Amino acid sequence: MVSKVGFVVNPIAGMGGKVGLKGTDGVLHQAIKLGAKPFASDKAYETIKKFISSNSKKNQIKWFTSKGEMGSNILNKAGIKNFEIVYSPSNEKTSSEDTKNACKKFIEKNVDLILFCGGDGTARDIFEIVSIKIPVLGIPSGVKMHSGVFGITTIASGKMLNEFVNERLTIGDVEIMDLDEEKYRKGEWNIKLFGIARGIVEPTYIQVGKSTFESVSDNEIKDELFEHINDEIEKNNDCLFLFGSGGTIDHIARKIGIKNTLLGIDAVYNKKIIGSDLNEKGILKLLKKYPKVKLVLSPIGAQGFILGRGNLQLSSRVIKMIGLDNIIIVSTPAKLVSIPVIRVDTGDEKLDDMFAEKEFIMVVIGYRLSRVVKIQTLT
Amino acid sequence: MNRNSTSFLKEEYEELVKNSFDWKLRILESGSTPHSVVDGKKVIMLCSNNYLNLSNHPRLIKSSIDAAKKFGAGSGSVRAIAGTMKLHMEVEKRLAKFKRTEASLIYQTGFAANAGLIPQLVTKEDIIISDELNHGSIIDGVRLTKADRAVYKHRDMGELEKILKEADKKHRRILVITDGVFSMDGDIAPMDKIVKLANEYGAMSYVDDAHGEGVIGEDGRGIGAHFKIEGKIDVEMGTFSKAYGVVGGLIAGSKDLTNFAFNKSRTWLLSGSHPPAVAGAQLAAIDVLETEPEYVKNLWDNTNYFKKELISLGFDTGESETPITPVMVGESSKAKELSNKLFTEGIFALPIVFPMVSRNKARIRTMMNAGLTRKDLDYTLDKFEKLGKQLEII
Ligand SMILES: Cc1ncc(COP(=O)(O)O)c(C=O)c1O
Repeated sequence: MVSKVGFVVNPIAGMGGKVGLKGTDGVLHQAIKLGAKPFASDKAYETIKKFISSNSKKNQIKWFTSKGEMGSNILNKAGIKNFEIVYSPSNEKTSSEDTKNACKKFIEKNVDLILFCGGDGTARDIFEIVSIKIPVLGIPSGVKMHSGVFGITTIASGKMLNEFVNERLTIGDVEIMDLDEEKYRKGEWNIKLFGIARGIVEPTYIQVGKSTFESVSDNEIKDELFEHINDEIEKNNDCLFLFGSGGTIDHIARKIGIKNTLLGIDAVYNKKIIGSDLNEKGILKLLKKYPKVKLVLSPIGAQGFILGRGNLQLSSRVIKMIGLDNIIIVSTPAKLVSIPVIRVDTGDEKLDDMFAEKEFIMVVIGYRLSRVVKIQTLT
Repeated sequence: MNRNSTSFLKEEYEELVKNSFDWKLRILESGSTPHSVVDGKKVIMLCSNNYLNLSNHPRLIKSSIDAAKKFGAGSGSVRAIAGTMKLHMEVEKRLAKFKRTEASLIYQTGFAANAGLIPQLVTKEDIIISDELNHGSIIDGVRLTKADRAVYKHRDMGELEKILKEADKKHRRILVITDGVFSMDGDIAPMDKIVKLANEYGAMSYVDDAHGEGVIGEDGRGIGAHFKIEGKIDVEMGTFSKAYGVVGGLIAGSKDLTNFAFNKSRTWLLSGSHPPAVAGAQLAAIDVLETEPEYVKNLWDNTNYFKKELISLGFDTGESETPITPVMVGESSKAKELSNKLFTEGIFALPIVFPMVSRNKARIRTMMNAGLTRKDLDYTLDKFEKLGKQLEII
């Protein structure tokens, strides 16, 4: 089978980082003045090269790309012929609009996957256009890469592309994260969860024969996680449940029959929503009213944070009131493959230390099935 | 409703064939011997679990025939009703003595032991803590329980202890379960440490020693003897189907354990007992282990030689500490190719590929046999060297 892949490069991605800036958006001038040179196309080339060398059957991809440094130059350099230019940037200095326009063309061409090279900002631009219509795979080249769409290295992205076209990987949720610019301008450094995109993930395998395995889709695993949480709610019917953000918890909530906030914190009591998209104040109010509480979280983004990225409402005060033992972490096993540690950054050193002391935390990975995962704090 | 009730049989089979996930059965035209005839070809057998070659031992064959002549071809019933013969009781007595435990109990197979006993040991308020690489029959036994399950990283005692600590707070009973010798890597569970941790946290310990029975420990007494903790493991489970050269599952432990086990295990209660010929062979297998130590010695001499030579040729044999020696290859396709080429050269060794092991850890799994000669091993090593170079593995 021939896969259709849209390929787009943000040529200026990562330039800010090389000269100590926290991104390249809006500060390109400054970056160049400080001596930054573009390198995203080299990164993309490494990925494509790795893909070619690991893919034994040729011509498995029909490429769609943008002109010049945004794509075609790199494919040409790698010796790929089977591509079509679907977008040409009007100006040599490309912008996020060019990334977005290329993605619009990819949607028209019905591509199976978008392979892009950039950072969190690029991922966000793409997500704004394609949402969950098309899975995305990132080649890491930015300053910030908190989103779950990136391969760990350019080489890893090349291998993943190969596994994808050979149908050995499956589609799952990945988080799009980026700096909250509004807060940033006010001097705060806050990584926000922008959305849940489709990415490519390792399937979970279940042994069915001695050496036959069935790969289980992300959704089937999430159904199991739903059953687990559903049992917990039924077992603890005098208990308030706080649901964190992300695709896994969203799936669980929908199965329970409640309308959850994908990117926010909701309160559930007896399987009914009693608080939506709560802020810190709202949560604290509920905690005073309900003495028994459990917090359901799922690791977010490429680094596997459960606290401190994308959910600042869960402040250290909130967490201390809830108690560490009342946190239930759920994750698909596939996600744990890409994030071998659970990270915590509550902004409260004492609380972080309490997590650090635990060293490991139990993570629910199936119906009444869990495993221990290392905890890491920033300190 | 109008439906084709059986069309899925063909469809799902064809799907397996399409993905090459179906089993292509190799037919033995000889006994399971160190040199077997497989699909018409004479090969050196490196995939059998008949480690000691006892299945061909004259004493086992004779004892089997004698028992059949004396007691017939079948046992007539399940053990619980009218199918317990004196012979079965004798095997259990002799086995307990050999394994230096208070008692033992024979099941039809090792699979039946795991699938029958595990679900009786724990229930809803309990938890099973399992090594991530445990055998499928354990996994099936675990699936039949309502207990919580937690998995620790392969042989990682730090993780096991963390889970025990958590489990201790919340659960009634705790069962720690592990393979003894792991069948993919040939490494051994740190059973001494597991038992120590289990005792510390009031947990039961259960080991599936299918590949350790007859292989490790003094005279092949198994993992309890290997760590000199005989009688300290709550459940030592094993099988007669591998090194013992016959068939049949076993558990060894306290009298309380076996009393509990045979009254509760559904596989034991609801399925026919072994024919006399099987029990007869089992008895003789124990005899041989007790009186002819050269079989276990040969197995280890062969294993040590083969492993040492493989490593000096530049092969990676992983973490193996037993007669199961993986020869690491890398990519799955390469492992399959090597296995095919070895077969052409007259060596039968199976490839183990993704997803049985991780993507870059495909391997050929070799299982040593006490009946192979030095000449056989040198021939095998020579072919491994030639093909390993050809395929750029070494
Ligand atoms: C680790 C392990 N446990 C249990 C079994 C099952 O034993 P049996 O063949 O007696 O059913 C096997 C055999 O494949 C095994 O390898």
